[in-house]
Amino acid sequence: MENSNELSDSIITQNLLPKKFGKRGMLWTSILVAICILGMYAYYRQLRYGLVVTNMRDYVSWGIYISNFVFFVAISLVGSLITAIFRLINVEWSTPLTRIAEIIAVSAITFASIIIVVDMGRPERFMNLFLHGRIQSPIMWDVIVIGTYFFISLLLLYIPLLPDLKILLQQKDKNPNWLNKLYSFLGSFWIGSRLQIALSNRAIQILCILIIPVAFCIHTVTSWLFATTYRPGWDSTNFGAYFISGAFLVGSGGVVVAMYIFRRYYQLEKYITEQHFEKMGKIVVLLCLIYLYFNVNEYLVPAFKMKKAEEKHLNELFTGDFSTMFWFAVIIGMIIPIITLIFKKGRKPFPMFIIGSMIVVGAWFKRYLIVTPTLLNPFLPMQDIPESYKHYFPSWEEWAIAMGSLAGVLLFITFFARIFPIIPIQETITEENAKHK
Amino acid sequence: MQNINKVKILYFSLLITFFFGAKLSAQEEVVKLHYYNENNNLQYLILEANRKEAKILTPLPNKEYKVFLNTNDSSNLISAIKTDNSGRAKLFFPISLKESWNNNSEHTFIVEENEKEIISDFIINKAKIEIDTFTSDEGQKSIKAIVTKLVENKWLPADEVEMKLGIKRVGGILPAADEQSYTTDSSGTVVAEFKKDKIPGDENGNITLIAKVEENENFGNLSTEKIVNWGIATQVDSTFFEKRTLWSTRFKTPYWLLTLAYSIAIGIWATLIYLVYLVVKIVKLGNE
Repeated sequence: MENSNELSDSIITQNLLPKKFGKRGMLWTSILVAICILGMYAYYRQLRYGLVVTNMRDYVSWGIYISNFVFFVAISLVGSLITAIFRLINVEWSTPLTRIAEIIAVSAITFASIIIVVDMGRPERFMNLFLHGRIQSPIMWDVIVIGTYFFISLLLLYIPLLPDLKILLQQKDKNPNWLNKLYSFLGSFWIGSRLQIALSNRAIQILCILIIPVAFCIHTVTSWLFATTYRPGWDSTNFGAYFISGAFLVGSGGVVVAMYIFRRYYQLEKYITEQHFEKMGKIVVLLCLIYLYFNVNEYLVPAFKMKKAEEKHLNELFTGDFSTMFWFAVIIGMIIPIITLIFKKGRKPFPMFIIGSMIVVGAWFKRYLIVTPTLLNPFLPMQDIPESYKHYFPSWEEWAIAMGSLAGVLLFITFFARIFPIIPIQETITEENAKHK
Repeated sequence: MQNINKVKILYFSLLITFFFGAKLSAQEEVVKLHYYNENNNLQYLILEANRKEAKILTPLPNKEYKVFLNTNDSSNLISAIKTDNSGRAKLFFPISLKESWNNNSEHTFIVEENEKEIISDFIINKAKIEIDTFTSDEGQKSIKAIVTKLVENKWLPADEVEMKLGIKRVGGILPAADEQSYTTDSSGTVVAEFKKDKIPGDENGNITLIAKVEENENFGNLSTEKIVNWGIATQVDSTFFEKRTLWSTRFKTPYWLLTLAYSIAIGIWATLIYLVYLVVKIVKLGNE
């Protein structure tokens, strides 16, 4: 029995060790790098010529960059759901998903911070935010809470990684020299003593408790950037809860997509099973229903009253210029996922992958719809404004930077999966051994 | 076979010529002149130079032009100008052209670039706009504006002139009544009832009424203003920014917010520092 356990331990280790890129991996990485380079060139142009290269003007001063920022903040919340909430309520099946969720969280929050700097016309003045910042401003709260959430997510990614680093260091002959140096730097001190394990467990427990209120804060504060104004579409007491429910949904959608891709291309069918998709499917449909409920509140109640200031905004969303995008986001981001996922067949891996992708795409457009149409309808319109103020469609530089940042997130996750095990090896071995006892 | 190749080469040459020709012709320099008459005593011109490409106008800075009055003799030169970064230049009439300006009711402006005439048909008929107020027996305040044009040294009413009539505010004109714009009748007059009774004025209750004609093809841009005591006097509270409020400076943050924000931040970061301490302890245990 002991031998069979040892064998299964080594099989698990071999199965879960990070793998070199194949041809498809190289192609995928090259495409992402190319998109990132294009994004960097577009940003160079923005720095060189100023924000005038964007199509943002006096009315729409928060365009695709801020939509992207809200999207990244939203998707990063999944770290707290799958890692922290599931761990605290002893959801054991979530073990293979925790690191996927956490790396999505870290990479998304990193690029959320980057995209905010991109949105600044004079990024060299960033420090002024700290030197002259007013604590009364929700923007200041957002900066503080994003920094805090980033640090917690990083710790929550790093501490559970320590036992795996020991395993990686045991396979020195299989790794290139630079990787061994990196593993040694990050985790050569981990010997797996009882005291070390006890301290690590305590740290993880504290982090799991701490990350939940901070995660709620980060997205509530992001929603307050909008909701603390009187503007149509933003002036809502519902916004914090509405944003958080949407964030959990898009994050879970992102995890489902990542689960499918890693499972398929790293041959992880034994670890990320159909049961995982089945259970995640049930969670996603629940989150979809909650988010739909908040959407109904967010749009139906103002539409019932049709206050003058809200009227133009709501009409533009329901039947006007933004209606195609609005109904597209609602249908592919909520309605189709609900209809598909309530059936058992819809919760199989491939349908789940399609639904997860739809949720993520729908969520991106939803953020765009939250930010832009409101800005096109100011309370106090200016007179004799140029035509360009009245419409907004991102310039190629904005698209390139936004797509570059999305590619950056994917590249971050891709490199992480190349260097570190995407499924926790030690935890999987411990759980397997516990099952055999 | 050779003939076919020649035809192909010719065809491609034509195609390339057409393509680049189309590209070059798609770029166009657009120069516009605007005439302004403010309060019937300040006349000036603004020249705007842009490059038009694929329906997008890009300002042309540092472009040099000469603007003449009536004929392009050097004696009639209004000004030799250079456009600024926004592709614009402002011109005032020199004293030497005063007589020539006063003697005619209609003037032609000519713009030259590198000795070449690029505008020769910009004609302005001298006009003025006057603003007045009256109150009806029922107590209804109204604004009256009259547009007149100079024809053979006589000021005659200008009818069918579209204008804005209202209150001058930061960023634009607030209409005095419900209409956004008005058109003069046969006597060159428009009347608007003043319906903004509760509008805030300065500390004495003064507001500025304005009548404005914009880009009229005969008269250009005309505007005139009148200050009236029809607003509500606003008292500036000088102690306003001294209070600790959510909208004051960072040195005047409310105490409750400071306490709340710093308690949360300190509480969370103290825990994080403790977690870093635990990691350091794990490192030390491994290195022992």
